[in-house]
Amino acid sequence: MANPLLEAPTNSSPATAIDLSQKASTFINSQSSWLSAIPYPLSLFINTESQEKWQTYENLFLACLRTGDDNTAYACLESLTNRFGKGNDRILGLQGLYKESTAKNDSELAEVLKEYEEILKNDPTIFSIRKRRAAVLRSMGRTSDAVTALTNLLDQSPTDAEAWSELADLYLMLGSYEQAIFCLEEVVLVMPNSWNMQARTGEVLYLSSEKLEGADQLRLLSESMRRYCRSLELCDDYLRGYYGLKLTTDRLLELLSTGKKSQQSSSDPVKGDLAPPSIDAVKKLNELATSKLTEIVRRSKSGEKGWDGYSEAEIIAARELLDRGTQKIER
Amino acid sequence: MAGAAEQQIHRDPALFYWILLPITVVMVLTGILRHYLSTLLQTAPKRLPLPKIREQRSLLRSANLRMNYAQISPAAFQKRREWWIESARDGKFLADPDARGKGKPNPMSDPAMMEGMMGMMKGNVAMMVPQSLIMGWINAFFSGYVIMKLPFPLTPQFKQMLQAGVGTRDLDVRWVSSLSWYFLTLFGLQPVYNFILGSNNAANQVTQQMAQSQVNPMGGAEDPEKIFNAEAENLEVVEHYYILDGVEDRLLERLQGTV
Repeated sequence: MANPLLEAPTNSSPATAIDLSQKASTFINSQSSWLSAIPYPLSLFINTESQEKWQTYENLFLACLRTGDDNTAYACLESLTNRFGKGNDRILGLQGLYKESTAKNDSELAEVLKEYEEILKNDPTIFSIRKRRAAVLRSMGRTSDAVTALTNLLDQSPTDAEAWSELADLYLMLGSYEQAIFCLEEVVLVMPNSWNMQARTGEVLYLSSEKLEGADQLRLLSESMRRYCRSLELCDDYLRGYYGLKLTTDRLLELLSTGKKSQQSSSDPVKGDLAPPSIDAVKKLNELATSKLTEIVRRSKSGEKGWDGYSEAEIIAARELLDRGTQKIER
Repeated sequence: MAGAAEQQIHRDPALFYWILLPITVVMVLTGILRHYLSTLLQTAPKRLPLPKIREQRSLLRSANLRMNYAQISPAAFQKRREWWIESARDGKFLADPDARGKGKPNPMSDPAMMEGMMGMMKGNVAMMVPQSLIMGWINAFFSGYVIMKLPFPLTPQFKQMLQAGVGTRDLDVRWVSSLSWYFLTLFGLQPVYNFILGSNNAANQVTQQMAQSQVNPMGGAEDPEKIFNAEAENLEVVEHYYILDGVEDRLLERLQGTV
């Protein structure tokens, strides 16, 4: 496995974040060895720089902020600032992050926001600050402002997958499924091989299909199922993918077995949509998802090697879904 | 020259201490000097103005759409394609809509372009000056004799490389002249610099020159409108297929054996 210090800690579980932040002080101490204490003219001959070093600093900074260890976080930020200067885009973003997380109430947060706007007035091309601004707006509950900020950003930088997926999240929060799906499609266009985004698209499609009826529902549901299939094609053991596959195939089986007539009208060749899948294939996929979910739950519960990377909450949810299925059969 | 009897040349051991070693040390030191010089001379890349960023990234978006179109449904693709082509034709993405139709801008008139060229000049000077100085130094002091013998035999083709500045035809190829030693160190010290200065150093001029030859300083000044029109045409001819078409069968085929 890769060095945990070098991986961006944004998606890691709380346990890993704590683990990381506890390593922080040892790491910082290890950086001040005799090598960096060499006097000036001789220090020109020795290089202690590496990209990994600064990546580690940044990751530790983020982990410490998450776990509330503000002092260590500040120390990391100091070294980063000393190295890259105050005006660096990324440093500005990190500094903002620090101020945001140490802000105690909304008025202090508003203060930070004002600072961001001040920076952006001078130079609107600092994308890290623009993103931070959108994030602050969101956390202050000003969702529509955050949406405007992000749409502006995306008009100027339409290849930013991070911003697109954040916008999708916001739209989902507001209940505008169609816009959310559009944003997710943009993300997938930028990163075609990211299985998690494929599955995420499937999730939103599934949610939006719940609101509809008849042929439209069938269409969205089958597309959602296909998204999950694609996600699994890209990543064999993706728990969320199997979970979604089981969920969608369950629903599809219900729909396909009850309303045979609506099936015809939905495959409209003019629009170029795919025909709904055959009931046979759906059944097989359902079986596949069920057996794979059972396998994952069983193996990760017994803690087998290579199967212990799943998050606990997801395993529990998967078990619950499986139990729901078996109860139905017993009835 | 039958080659049976090995050539014996008696060298003064002082050659080693006063020529071989100094040349090597000087070469290493110049490499380090060059590294720091080019770091000092480097100008920070200039920030692009916002409209320019938008222009570039819009173009990139279309390229993404053109390459990864299979990921989205035909309807979604059609919608995006029509919107993009129309906007591109109207010049909505252009950084400078007023300059449409004026043709290729002159690179000399653009101050940003001039700055880029200046930066390149500075880099070149930092490379060339120490190199020519040292070569002159070696030529003036140490040319015309051999300073070391390689411990392994070589074919005569290496004669040119190893015995520059020594005009003896019958000399065994294993003898290396001082000028050749200079060239060997010039091209072969990269690992040493990597060890001393870290892997992304600017000490070796050969790698520098290779990096430079890839970017044509004049090439960036294409008329943006033409690029957008070409991109729109490329996008127009894309024939769409959907990657989700038949994905369930593919997945079943692949995974059914494993469970």
